[in-house]
Amino acid sequence: MAAESGARDGVTGRGRGDGRAPVRLRRAGAWLAAPATLSAIAGATIILLVGIPVLFILLQAVFPEFARGGSFAAPFSRLDIVTHNPRLLTQTANTLLLAGSVMLGCLLLGLPVGILRGLFRVPGARLWDVLFLIPFLIPPFIAAIAWMMLLQRNGYLEGALGFNMSGFLFTFAGVAFVMTLNLFPLVYFAVSRALEVVGGHYAAAARVCGAGPLRAFVLITAPLSVPAIAASLLIVFAMSIEEFGTPAALAARTGFEVLVTGIYTRLSDYPIDLSGAAVGSVILMALVLAAFLLQNWIATRRSYVAQTGKPAAIERAELGPWRWPALGLFALVGAIGVVIPLFTIVATSLTGTISGGLSLSNLSLRHYEAIFATGSRAGQALMTSGWLATVTALAASLIGGLVAVIVVRGTARARQAMDALSILPNAIPAIVLAVGVILFWNSPYLPVTLYGTAAILLVAYTAILLPYPIRYAVAQLRQMGGSLDDAARVAGASGAQTLGHVLLPLMAPALIAAMMLVFAIASRELVASIMLAPAGMRTVGTYVFSQFEQGSVQVGMAMSTIAIVITTGILLVVNLWLARRGANPFAG
Amino acid sequence: MLRTVTIATGIAAGFAGVAAAESITVYSAGPANLAEALQDAFEAETGIDVELFQATTGDVMARLEAEEANPQADVVVSASWASALDLQDRGLLMEYESPNAEAVPDFLKHSHYVAQGVSALAIAWNTESGTPRPSDWADLAAPEYADLVTMPDPSQSGSAFELVAGLQEAMGEDTWTLLGELAENGMIVPGANAAALNPVLQGAAAAVFGAVDYISYGRADDGETIEVIAPESGTVIAPRPMMILESTDNAEGAQAFIDFVLSEAGQELVAEVFLMPARTDIAARRPGIEDLDIIELDAEELDAQRDDIIARYNEVVLGR
Repeated sequence: MAAESGARDGVTGRGRGDGRAPVRLRRAGAWLAAPATLSAIAGATIILLVGIPVLFILLQAVFPEFARGGSFAAPFSRLDIVTHNPRLLTQTANTLLLAGSVMLGCLLLGLPVGILRGLFRVPGARLWDVLFLIPFLIPPFIAAIAWMMLLQRNGYLEGALGFNMSGFLFTFAGVAFVMTLNLFPLVYFAVSRALEVVGGHYAAAARVCGAGPLRAFVLITAPLSVPAIAASLLIVFAMSIEEFGTPAALAARTGFEVLVTGIYTRLSDYPIDLSGAAVGSVILMALVLAAFLLQNWIATRRSYVAQTGKPAAIERAELGPWRWPALGLFALVGAIGVVIPLFTIVATSLTGTISGGLSLSNLSLRHYEAIFATGSRAGQALMTSGWLATVTALAASLIGGLVAVIVVRGTARARQAMDALSILPNAIPAIVLAVGVILFWNSPYLPVTLYGTAAILLVAYTAILLPYPIRYAVAQLRQMGGSLDDAARVAGASGAQTLGHVLLPLMAPALIAAMMLVFAIASRELVASIMLAPAGMRTVGTYVFSQFEQGSVQVGMAMSTIAIVITTGILLVVNLWLARRGANPFAG
Repeated sequence: MLRTVTIATGIAAGFAGVAAAESITVYSAGPANLAEALQDAFEAETGIDVELFQATTGDVMARLEAEEANPQADVVVSASWASALDLQDRGLLMEYESPNAEAVPDFLKHSHYVAQGVSALAIAWNTESGTPRPSDWADLAAPEYADLVTMPDPSQSGSAFELVAGLQEAMGEDTWTLLGELAENGMIVPGANAAALNPVLQGAAAAVFGAVDYISYGRADDGETIEVIAPESGTVIAPRPMMILESTDNAEGAQAFIDFVLSEAGQELVAEVFLMPARTDIAARRPGIEDLDIIELDAEELDAQRDDIIARYNEVVLGR
């Protein structure tokens, strides 16, 4: 376990090579000497990546002419979108209802398997972890199309079994169902990871004191995992109110509207209304900030410290005769959440024509040939997304880890603001955040800019995906007592040494888990890529999307399949490599 | 073109020398294969590099709007004639009349923009759907098509909006009666153009009311059981304007691109994807403009009516 070995190094103050370690420490200490410097770096980064684009969105919301050369004319003239919108209340209610349902669905689906994974020896545990990462590899709009092709009238289900489920899919319940399947792994990973930290020893103490296993779980283990569950639910909440593709694809026909519907409509067709979209986004931000405050209250009103010393090796309980029911549950969740949508995507990519349906005579590899044909931009798209996802994963985890330390351990007043700021990228529809990025980075007043280069995508991806490492690491730090830092400081370590040898290793499992999530999502990011990719550059997301819009659905599905296979392969290899080194990113 | 000093150009210049090949930046609405074919052929012919951004018209316009303080594009190809009018009203376009535009009919060109190609709106019907072949818009309100008709949402699809406006021009109030009947008959309004066509391909629905015809021709050519039907009572066309931004710093390169798209070779590529070429002397691979009964629309008037038409559509069809 990374946490264990890392902490051992840290607490004893000895690295693996005794001779070299002090040198390395001093060098690290030189540039991260004081916590103040660290706060400043983390603060400046998050302000540059998130704060400034958000500020420009707010300016655009207030000043409709702002994008046209920084004009401050006619302030507040677009507020009528809010004040004169008879549907606003309905849209807000729908948004909250949908987010609530998706959160509940994610708990139902993710919590039981997460608990099993965290506390028991589940056969094939590492494989399940990688399997449950796959939903993040499937862009939401593709997942929605896949479920439509499966369940709608004359869909694959009807072809196989003679009935369809249109009546379910194209309703509120269908939207909540599909969105839950996109997001439930967030809860699974947060819970299984938190239970690792909470671990067996408090529960074991409770058992020693005479509590039964269930009682120990309910009274000790479960409450201590609350911050992690609350943190993952906050991301689920933010993601569900911001998600456009699924409600648009499935529920628009029943007249079901959410707040984000109006935002996208303003940006998706002429005449473009940047200001109206910005105003709508402000409402979403307010909702998410309210959820954030609630989550923060839950996570800080009492102490959840569960780790105060060297983490003990976790002895996971044997499932014994419960092994098969538990595996059955994993298989069920895996089948609904991963296998069925994945099957639909692969099957569609292999059909010659859509109207030919799933039949052997309609089996064809020609859409894969189209992807590999000369002149195809697919190879470039795969390479671009590959390196972007890798660098984003590293950058987001590094920045996220630093911000988390400031948020939990810092003393500066600004730490609350930094924490709040860090969740906003999830609340703002990615297309609006991208507009904010353009307004700032493409400003003619900047002497030097990243806009127009691939680096702008890194900036946007990192901003959009920062909430994952930050939420995961903050939750983890809240479970670790400050006494560990104090011990290091008493032993003579500098602030930087404490960070590098105590806190970062202890956060490593959370950060590595977040890194994998970030890699998975960045590898197929669509919305910000459309707006920000420099002319001439394609990503996997934009390639697939343009196939769906005006090319062939099957080519889009084929490209998705290729990307999913490659990315899953990479995640599997990384996971196995970590396992061999004795570490596991998701649970001990 | 990059007007600001960018780090990448700085680095690139270091390697490639500042006198790197001349280039233009083109923002183009779909289809991707046409935009890429034009890019490749133009680069081969002129040696000018094309930095291509291909997306939907909405995405192209949103990006132009967000970049307005510091425009990046030289040439814009849109799928909406109205968007060209708007850009010109705002003084963002450069005047240019290509010598190759001679064979383009007057109603498809203007001092500041010219059509690349033209699409029309049609009925796309799945021939295996077990429904009778429709021949006019009103047929789709018949009971045989109950729950089996889709239509792109006018608030998300510029072409669907123009169809509603065009029908209103030609049929007056009857348009709204017809749309009401379609709604009664269970017409589905699932989103933009692709969202309306895909269910018909799989057989979840039988016909699209207002499909962008060249996309449907392309799908039929790919083997899908789709027939494109030009309605008897007429339809609207959607010319796809090309224009040069006033802010360009490579007007010559941009003009060369417009010239190339309007050349015979360029127009052949446009015809390849089942659009009607803008030039009348290049054959289309499908029925051409002269074969269609076209409802003419005044773009300025359209713009003025936009909010009212969408509001009424929302009320009559979507019940909100």
